Amino acid sequence: MGRIQFDHLTKQFGETVAVEDLTFDIEDSEFLVLVGPSGCGKSTTLRMLAGLETPTSGDLYIADEHMNYRVPQNRDIAMVFQDYALYPHMTIRENIRFGLEEEPGYTEAERDERVEDVAETLGIDDLLDRKPGELSGGQQQRVALGRAIVRDPEVFLMDEPLANLDAKLRTQMRTELQRLQEELDVTTVYVTHNQTEAMTMGDRIAVLNDGRLQQVGEPLELYHAPENQFVAGFIGEPMMNFLHGDRSEEGFVGEYIEYPFDERLERAVGDAADLVLGIRPEAIDVRHAGESASQSLGPHEFRMTVTVTETHGDQNVVTLTHAEDEASHDTIRAVTDGMHIVNAGESVIVTVEPDAVHVFDGETGEALCNRRLETARELTI
Amino acid sequence: MSQSTSDTNIDVASVVEDVNLRRIGHYTIVILFLGFFLLPLITGIMTALKTSTAVANTLPFMPPLGDGFTLANLEYAFNRLSYAFVNSLLMAIPATIINVLLASMAAFGLTMVRWRGQMGILVLFLIGIFVPYQAVLVPLARFWNNIFPIADMLEPVFSVVPLIQGYHSALVPLIITHVAYGIPICMLLFRSYYQSLPNSLVEAAKIDGASITKIYRRIILPISKPMFGVVFIYQFTQIYNEFLFSFTLVTSANSSEAPITLIIPTIGTSTSGIDFGIRMAAAFLAALPTIILYVAFAEQFAKGLETESA
Repeated sequence: MGRIQFDHLTKQFGETVAVEDLTFDIEDSEFLVLVGPSGCGKSTTLRMLAGLETPTSGDLYIADEHMNYRVPQNRDIAMVFQDYALYPHMTIRENIRFGLEEEPGYTEAERDERVEDVAETLGIDDLLDRKPGELSGGQQQRVALGRAIVRDPEVFLMDEPLANLDAKLRTQMRTELQRLQEELDVTTVYVTHNQTEAMTMGDRIAVLNDGRLQQVGEPLELYHAPENQFVAGFIGEPMMNFLHGDRSEEGFVGEYIEYPFDERLERAVGDAADLVLGIRPEAIDVRHAGESASQSLGPHEFRMTVTVTETHGDQNVVTLTHAEDEASHDTIRAVTDGMHIVNAGESVIVTVEPDAVHVFDGETGEALCNRRLETARELTI
Repeated sequence: MSQSTSDTNIDVASVVEDVNLRRIGHYTIVILFLGFFLLPLITGIMTALKTSTAVANTLPFMPPLGDGFTLANLEYAFNRLSYAFVNSLLMAIPATIINVLLASMAAFGLTMVRWRGQMGILVLFLIGIFVPYQAVLVPLARFWNNIFPIADMLEPVFSVVPLIQGYHSALVPLIITHVAYGIPICMLLFRSYYQSLPNSLVEAAKIDGASITKIYRRIILPISKPMFGVVFIYQFTQIYNEFLFSFTLVTSANSSEAPITLIIPTIGTSTSGIDFGIRMAAAFLAALPTIILYVAFAEQFAKGLETESA
């Protein structure tokens, strides 16, 4: 049972607190992604799991055993490093076999056989007699994986394994890693700063910032119901649009926009004075302004100018500024369908439905209200 | 020095002028330095091959011609030094090997493993580098002669073992002294090399279940090969050429266990003065092992230095 429990885990390096009061559980066979910006403490957490760092305070359990002070050799874990850390003077066969030497219950012949099996699964069986220096980056990565898999550990730890691969290989390996993890059914903790990897690969995601856990949950949960502004801004590409402003009688008033609240929003926001409106790019509807410039606009419609259009093929990312915003300080980005073309300089009408709006407290960053999802598809949160 | 005509230089005349002066200057300096370094060596070789009359009558660096040429000096030196060669090598090779092995283990323990108090131990090693030979000579002699006379203790053992003589046991204190003296500097050399290795190698091995000893034996030791070459050459040269400790512990050039460094100052002296031909011949013969070693390991040496500076 490769269950992992973090109990108020803290790690300090001298004055700096790298990880602060981390508390959550990872289920057996779960693929959990630890994600966050550089320096948020995710690698430190992984290293504490591996036994390469000792926690300053708090407790760590793997498979219900207390692991704070146990050496890495005795933890029954396997790790894939960012730089692969293959032994340069050994052949691939010896590299993979090395970890198996300390595993009890194998004869020499069985060990050799296992190495062959694992190499075949990963498609590197023709490379077994080469040295790591002769292999490409992708091949080295597979060897690093093989080295981890061969030992059949309780937990896989992966420290940004795809970071050194080119874009195409990265997408390819992403799917392969997922497939492998499903097949092997081993608890995996995967560290990355790439939110796409987090969203696509994880059963659950844990977002860290500045050493603190921001939110842990399923990808869609974090996407549609973020608990604070940081998670909302971190998850989702292109990033969620944030408009800063204050509470007014009707709702929200920013520098160029006044957004009246409906009943749901009003109830949720309550007395908060300092507000941040969060709108996902795909929730913004963009249509051409049409001939009449003095067309009357609805309460949730705004006139904007297109500054930049990015064509992605399947979609277009449009950067918009408010018609009155000459210096283009406050820009928002919208995503339109690939066939729906708007050109730079064009005047457009932008609609944002209240159901799609997130509101965050301007001071604490906490989420006051998240978007409403259609009842049929609503997640039980 | 490639003086290609650059497009940025408009004044052609000054460019041409610069090239000439610079080139002449460079070549002059190079030739001067060549002469400075090579002349003594050339003189030495030439003198070794000349008869005494030729030495007195010809310029030092001129090659011996006709009657002046002789191999007798080399022959004499070789006969006189053959036993001393054995002594020196018997002393230097084990000392270097033990030195290098222990230093690399120490460097590994201090650089790639974290444990409490290692900074203090490291400082002790660093202090060891700076202790001057001269300061410990008298205590050293007293230690090996009176307090722990291992030479006398091992003599009966050595006389029984084939190929070596009983008197070679006197080299054991010398070997131990050289090992003790050489470990700090060799440890430092290995430490700088280990610091350039990625930590993730040791971490991966730990996660693979290897103990610290296994990590050293199976991973770090094989990777250190270039560095072993470098440190071996350096330390062998130091120990082989060393005079002071040999003189203190073996004392006389007439003892049968005298290393080569003790014999050389005495060779070629006679009532009629110093025979330079024999002296030079002896010097070159004595230098032969280190030259051979360097040539054999030159590639490793270069690789090792390259890794260090990388």
